[in-house]
Amino acid sequence: MPLDKSVLERTFPEFEFRLERGKIREYALALGLTDPVHTDLEAAKAAGFDDLLAPPTFVRQFWHENPGNDPMPHLGYDPKRRLHGEQEFEYHKPLVAGMNLNGRNTIVSTREKEGRRGGMMTFVVIETRFVDEAGELVQVARRTLIETAAPPKEG
Amino acid sequence: MTTATQYAKWAELTEGVERELTVGPITRTDLVRYAGASGDFNPNHHDEIYAIRAGFDKPFAHGMLQGGYLARLLSEWLGPDSFKNLKIRFSAQAWPGDMVICKARVVRQYEEAGNRLVEIEASAANQRGDVLIKAEAIAALRA
Repeated sequence: MPLDKSVLERTFPEFEFRLERGKIREYALALGLTDPVHTDLEAAKAAGFDDLLAPPTFVRQFWHENPGNDPMPHLGYDPKRRLHGEQEFEYHKPLVAGMNLNGRNTIVSTREKEGRRGGMMTFVVIETRFVDEAGELVQVARRTLIETAAPPKEG
Repeated sequence: MTTATQYAKWAELTEGVERELTVGPITRTDLVRYAGASGDFNPNHHDEIYAIRAGFDKPFAHGMLQGGYLARLLSEWLGPDSFKNLKIRFSAQAWPGDMVICKARVVRQYEEAGNRLVEIEASAANQRGDVLIKAEAIAALRA
């Protein structure tokens, strides 16, 4: 299905999330991180952080906690042809437990390209900007979602 | 207190210096644990029947599980708050039973506006040498 370009004009509501120690520990353990700054408060403080430090890809979690604010379902993509093509993070301030952030999603670009076996592939970039309570930028995440070309019809 | 991780010093990170981390074989339990930790409950990563109906042989790893392993390598090497930017491109799936072999290399060591920076190229491959993900990062070292 061709991409509905009107998604570029849409705005998505701001959402809140709190960084919790338990979630940071759970995420670090799921990836096998051994650096104690993610799991041991004393170690995090000794390294100069106010609290447990979130691992570099941690904000991934919040997209799933806020399905109502996620632009993905509005793209009209066929879930069976949807791929996560790229993921980018831009870091401005350390993300530590106890922070209360505000996030906002925007669709920043869309592009179509002919697939190798015919049909159109669609690329959409969703940007999520996270700011702290002082309104300062903490982290920016950009994910590129691809809808692969529809398989050729049989017969 | 647990032992602090020793990160590389900027001076050691000359062009061509490499670091590796091998994880695996990954299990379905690893996938389920990552689903819970990240909140990503896409059924392709745990539901056999759903994955088969979607055209896959079986459930496969979240791209960000492999991305997270690669970020772990960089984070425990350069320091967990050193990143300025990290960009991951997904090329192929990792399946339960696969190894995830992460490799990273310094491609540029430079100073800019008083910051000591390195540019890193990294990738993760399976035990057959198929590239799963590629990544680029810029990190500013504390010392």
